[in-house]
Amino acid sequence: MEADKKLISDLTPEIEKTSLKWYLTFFIFFVFFAVGIYGLIQQIDKGHIVTGMRDNVVWGFYIVNFIFFMGLSYSGALISGVLHLFHTGWRKPIIRMAELITIISLIIGPFFIFFCIGRLDRLYFLFTHPRIQSPITWDVIAILTDLFGCFIYLYLSFIEDFAILRDYPDLKVAPWKKKLYKTLSLGFTGTEKQRKILSNARMVMAAMVIAIAIIVYSVLAWIFGVTLQPGWHSTIFGPYFVIAAVFSGTGLLIILMWIFRKVYHLEEYITKRHFVNVGVLLTVIAAFYGYFTFSDYLTKWYGSIKMDSILIDKLFTDYYSLFIFANYIGIILPCIIIAIPKFRTIPNITIAAIIAITALWVNRYIIVIPTLETPFLPIQDTRPDWISYSPTWIEWSLTLAGVSVFAMLFMLVSKIAPIISISEMQEKDKIEILK
Amino acid sequence: MKKELIYTILFLSLLPFFSVNLFSQEVTVISPYIQLQYFKNTDDQRILQTALTYSKNRMELPLPGMEITFFKGGDKKESIATILTDNKGIAMFELSSEMKLNTERDGMWAFSSEFKGNDTIEAGTSEITVKDVRLEMILSVVDSIKTITVNAFVNENGAEKPVSGEAVKVYVPRMFSFLPISELTLDDAGTASVEFPSDLPGDKDGNVTIIAKFEENMVFGNVEKRETLMWGLPTDYSVPKTHRALWTKTAPKWMIYTLSVLLAGVWGHYIFALVSLIRIRIDAKRKAKEEYRI
Amino acid sequence: MKEMEDNEPGKSSRRNFLRKVGVGVGAISVAGIAGSSLLKGNETKAKSGEKVKLLSTDGKLVEVDRDDIKSAKEIVAELKEEARAGLPNRKFGMVVDLARCKNARKCVDACQEGHLLPKDHEWIKLYLLQDDSTTAKYWFPRPCFHCDKPMCVSVCPVGATYKRPDGIVLIDNQRCIGCKFCMTGCPYSARVFNWKDPEVEIPEGHVYNPETNIPPVEGTVGKCVFCADKLRKNELPRCVTACPMGVIYFGDILEDTVTNGVETERFSKLMIDRAGFRYREDLGTLPSVYYLPPAERMFPVESGLEDSDESIKGRYKNVGPR
Repeated sequence: MEADKKLISDLTPEIEKTSLKWYLTFFIFFVFFAVGIYGLIQQIDKGHIVTGMRDNVVWGFYIVNFIFFMGLSYSGALISGVLHLFHTGWRKPIIRMAELITIISLIIGPFFIFFCIGRLDRLYFLFTHPRIQSPITWDVIAILTDLFGCFIYLYLSFIEDFAILRDYPDLKVAPWKKKLYKTLSLGFTGTEKQRKILSNARMVMAAMVIAIAIIVYSVLAWIFGVTLQPGWHSTIFGPYFVIAAVFSGTGLLIILMWIFRKVYHLEEYITKRHFVNVGVLLTVIAAFYGYFTFSDYLTKWYGSIKMDSILIDKLFTDYYSLFIFANYIGIILPCIIIAIPKFRTIPNITIAAIIAITALWVNRYIIVIPTLETPFLPIQDTRPDWISYSPTWIEWSLTLAGVSVFAMLFMLVSKIAPIISISEMQEKDKIEILK
Repeated sequence: MKKELIYTILFLSLLPFFSVNLFSQEVTVISPYIQLQYFKNTDDQRILQTALTYSKNRMELPLPGMEITFFKGGDKKESIATILTDNKGIAMFELSSEMKLNTERDGMWAFSSEFKGNDTIEAGTSEITVKDVRLEMILSVVDSIKTITVNAFVNENGAEKPVSGEAVKVYVPRMFSFLPISELTLDDAGTASVEFPSDLPGDKDGNVTIIAKFEENMVFGNVEKRETLMWGLPTDYSVPKTHRALWTKTAPKWMIYTLSVLLAGVWGHYIFALVSLIRIRIDAKRKAKEEYRI
Repeated sequence: MKEMEDNEPGKSSRRNFLRKVGVGVGAISVAGIAGSSLLKGNETKAKSGEKVKLLSTDGKLVEVDRDDIKSAKEIVAELKEEARAGLPNRKFGMVVDLARCKNARKCVDACQEGHLLPKDHEWIKLYLLQDDSTTAKYWFPRPCFHCDKPMCVSVCPVGATYKRPDGIVLIDNQRCIGCKFCMTGCPYSARVFNWKDPEVEIPEGHVYNPETNIPPVEGTVGKCVFCADKLRKNELPRCVTACPMGVIYFGDILEDTVTNGVETERFSKLMIDRAGFRYREDLGTLPSVYYLPPAERMFPVESGLEDSDESIKGRYKNVGPR
């Protein structure tokens, strides 16, 4: 398949050469990853006592990271899926990144569950002795379904690009890569019939990805929502988590747009318009997210139910700064930056995205841990680590390792396929069948 | 020389004190608690029971595997059995109906049990005197009220004399203990009666066992009469095997249906996408073959 | 991760001995159990004739036909099945008399001793509660409530915890994957987690049984089991007999009788006369543990703090209305 020469020459250098900077950056991430692995070995050897989790706060950093990474996977569903269904043109340069965020964070998320499981050697019991009534079983089924679906969706979007790369004669890459493109492109030649099949499949999968992403994140929310714990037993949790996930996914997308634009000199393809559009998306979602958060806490605060009041008290005393950051600054600041035209510059929008994504992580922390610190029967203990949660270096290092793996996987994928979908960028009428 | 002599004398005189510390050992000799009791059960079997225990940290602990010798008679003791205590510290011996029991001067039988003691446990004896009593329990429905009537008689000079003023306790045995129903006091005619509660649960058919007994009576020992009859409320307790709930083995039906429908729907679409991939491959291969021929 | 059947330090010497004497390697034969449960029973099928040497409970070497031996796996599986079935036609319940409790903690000690628990695991826990500044403080012993609608059982993804017909909720420590969902599901904080190797000595010849639930297994959850092993022998749970004040009554609710070892009462009478209630009835979990209000105490609440050491006393520093 022939492709626009300029497109190819702009978008393929990343596949062809690897700069020293790339190796250096990769190495730094790898070091963080190695430290995390060392921490994991310590944890497996000595038991979970080396973490900060104790009998009341049984879920700490690991579950927070799990929900966070699963939430990031939402960006693919929204940007790629929804925008695909609505045929929005400006989405084209960024859909590949969005889909990659989806897959990679879906792979990393479950690992944090594994860190939290007490008996990893029995993990397969989830498949040999499942109980349908348990929200965790729903979660296992949902995540597997989501993973599989997103893989198919991603692969469908890659086929054309692999075909272009396969047919581009001047591509200076290693032979194994060329063979890879040949195999993975399935011999796609761009005929009318093939395009139709592909387009239909992509449409169907786009709809599926949206639906399954909503289901997955709702199921995750219900793991908390169906329990009786004060703060978790909220009817709004399903939609709330979904919106928050979209919020974090969109924020991450902006950050990655900025990084790749800078590193691979894609200023021509990812323009300010894209940043503004995704930024506006972020603002709209921030408004929804703020609305849901406000609604949840207003109803808790207004009523006189003791357990709710105790939780609100804790949030406003022990967790005051975190609460303000997550639920006020994290929402208002990005909105201001993007809503006011004067502030709408690419670096500012990226900063807004960074604030948004950090605020969301803190929001997850505030949802999980304070509830566990205020059970129905008060914690009456003398040991400080049993009264309140304080994460240890192992939990911090594994969090960083998760982020590093995310970065490393992204970097590796960018070496195999262009980060902007070549086929998407092309005009439709320039396609010919190449001999 | 003189100095050395003084030291030697001093040392030798102090030696006995040291030797006591060197050679004496701490031997805690346990002082046991031995108690002999007389039991007569509903089949008129007579049993002697001795409990051998000791006290440690305010807890009563048994002494198993110890030899207890049972005796009959007061002034003239005659050994009748030697039994080892079980792991609860209890030694039991059944008096056969042929055994000749001589009444003492006060018209009572005398029994005793003895523990000879050993290096670590002191010896102990326990003596009791018992008068034979005939206890009767009649369970009848009087004016549609379930009534328990107890009578007690002693044999005096060949004639039966009613027992009066003694306490008879009525129990229903349960899984861990005995549920007290009433404590009756025998009147001058040696009789007492009480109403049995109409709302006491029995087994699944409504059977209850009722026990009337003299409990640790000073004169009569422990004498009981028990009977099982259908005076309780039947309790039917069965959990159906396929109880569908969140906490049982089988999930509620709607849950299974919803999950199946959702999964079938989603994976059905996946299969459609995979089939599309296969179709693309087939079409590409066909196209390649065509072009090759051209 | 360590499994029950792997080599544990205390057993290695006996295992070596058995190996030297030529015990069959295929089935892991646990010879320390009473002979009858070890053998399959009177089966008339033809025996292979192959003999195996085993160590009996009194330390003697016996020769048994190989076909007659049950493997440890079979025995554990049978015990687990028994544990799931429970005791027929029973429904166990507990009544705690808050008017008598004075934090003697003998229940905690007996429970920890009987189940080989490390000192920081409390299956029955003593709280000092005060609902409001105007209401009384009271000591609150909290075992597992063995709810009739147990949240913990509903959320377990692998079925490691289950409710059986006689009302007791048990945990199978060989099935538990340690996800701790049950711990967040339980509103009464009744479950504890083994965050590290409990380092307890396992008694000789011990076979795993969810009714005893010993020893605690690293990475799994533990909780009060109403001493299900003792109930099989018609004995009261350990906390019931250990309490010097007779605070805890236990019994078969179907029989309408509960006892604290000394006093036996009709359950329904106790509830009505002493106004029994369940903790947080509004949560709807239908607990099997009932409480009698702390009315007409015979001693002040503070007396419960007198004999305790600092690590216990310090727990109750901030007691008050929440």
